[in-house]
Amino acid sequence: MNISLVTRRQKRIITVFLYAFALVWLFPFYTAIRNSLKVNGFKNYVDLFMGDLNGISLLGTFRNSAFIALGSTVILLAVGSLAAFAFSKLRFFAKEALYATVLLCLAVPGVVILIPFYYILKNVGLYNTLWSVILSEAVLTLPFAVLMMRNYYDNLPPELMESASIDGATKLQMFNRIYLPLSTPALINLGVLSIMWSFQDFLLPLMFLTDKSVLTATVAVNTLKGLFGFSPADYGKFNAALVVLGMPGVIIFLFARKYITSGITSGAVKD
Amino acid sequence: MKIKAREHATGYLFVTPLLVLFAIFLFYGFYFIIQTSFFKETLSFRDAEFVGWENYRMVIEDSRFLYSIVNNLVFSAAAIVIGVSVGCLVSVVLSIGIRGSKFLGALFFIPSFMPLALIAMVFSIMLEYRFGTLNQLLHGIGLDFLAQRWLSNPEMAYLSVISISVFLIGLPMMYYNADMTTINSGILEAAVIDGAGLGRMMWNILFPLLKNAHKTIILSTLLGSFREFERIFLLTQGGPAGATENTSVYIYSFVRSAGANIGFVCAASAIVLLIALSISVVQMLAFRTKARKGGRG
Repeated sequence: MNISLVTRRQKRIITVFLYAFALVWLFPFYTAIRNSLKVNGFKNYVDLFMGDLNGISLLGTFRNSAFIALGSTVILLAVGSLAAFAFSKLRFFAKEALYATVLLCLAVPGVVILIPFYYILKNVGLYNTLWSVILSEAVLTLPFAVLMMRNYYDNLPPELMESASIDGATKLQMFNRIYLPLSTPALINLGVLSIMWSFQDFLLPLMFLTDKSVLTATVAVNTLKGLFGFSPADYGKFNAALVVLGMPGVIIFLFARKYITSGITSGAVKD
Repeated sequence: MKIKAREHATGYLFVTPLLVLFAIFLFYGFYFIIQTSFFKETLSFRDAEFVGWENYRMVIEDSRFLYSIVNNLVFSAAAIVIGVSVGCLVSVVLSIGIRGSKFLGALFFIPSFMPLALIAMVFSIMLEYRFGTLNQLLHGIGLDFLAQRWLSNPEMAYLSVISISVFLIGLPMMYYNADMTTINSGILEAAVIDGAGLGRMMWNILFPLLKNAHKTIILSTLLGSFREFERIFLLTQGGPAGATENTSVYIYSFVRSAGANIGFVCAASAIVLLIALSISVVQMLAFRTKARKGGRG
């Protein structure tokens, strides 16, 4: 909005007020950074990456997190876009009822589905492998993916289908050659969101990954809290780990904010 | 128009991967929860003993469970009030274009991009009674009497859990920003010409115009409260004495306690699932009527 809604004096008051608010806001950041430099200063950070922390390598946990994020995102994009295309552009039996069922699953709370997932994963031998979290995250995020991708496909013209079918293209070819390439922006939005959510995930890896070798970064910090003694040196290192854990969030923000914003809002606010 | 069998088949071919994943994990999962909820068994899934509705009776009679649902509602109500007031105000004010609004915007967004587990952990360190930075700061500036047992006094623990919502206004702000781009600035200009002040403009014109964003925030926050786990698990563990426990932490505490009755966990899960699905139905209906009213397909 580029109209002058406010007088200069009002603007000044608002500015002062907002910066005061921001100062309070920064307090948790200040807490984490200050504590992370305790006792050994910056060396806490170096130690984190150089050695093991009670048998846990922080870099290793980030590798696990990245693998899970990529794996679940690939499944999400492939399965989600296929289904969304069908829900948007194809006609088949009980389509809308099926779509409503999928959307309903948006509500499934992670903790509720934990026990069945545990039972299933244990039985197929995936418990304590990265695939257990990849699959469960993909399943729980799929309803959102279908919702978002369908909204996008709904806004693409159906006439492209007609002309393609005159040229004798199959439905799969239409999807592959026409609609999928056209939906690249939406796929990027969804992919970025999925990677971010995967990095934020705590409950699923906490429950399904108990071996030290498969820990994810988010859970590792919780494990470290239990493993570290209460010596001030450990405390500094632990806080340094917290700061490092916040870094992917900052990086994602700096490079991909607009994808996340348009992804979330196109999935939720349909206008 | 009649649809050919072939076309049905093609449609189903496209949704097959989705249906397979859902059938294995979700639909079988729901069946598993309901079936197990009638048995008494442990996490080893052996020696199941049929107990009928006994598990449900125990869950419903457990005041901790009812309390955890109330907490869910209280925490989401607080998050909604904060999102709709602070979130809305900050997004509107930032859009006026004050100095450094880009930087401030980034600052307010960043926590929403970080793992909630991390934020909860930092808050728990910050609010610690003896060494926490908040109490140390209060001592440092001579306001000792304000120092509190933030996490071990029930009322304060409530306040601490809620305070994280202020830190998470990034998501509501996103919805408001998106909704604000659809507002016709002519309306605001007309209001300025008619002599509306800033406060009036906010309250009587902007706030009602943003009702789509309000609705999205209210419903998604309510739904989110039944998913939320990290904030309470890492900040208070549901304590002191269960005061801040929500449904997720309640259920999880039984999953992890030794020799727990998984049937009981499943009965509680079934009830929570039912509540969550009901909210989801309301959400779908709310947005369906809107689409029809707007005349958009």
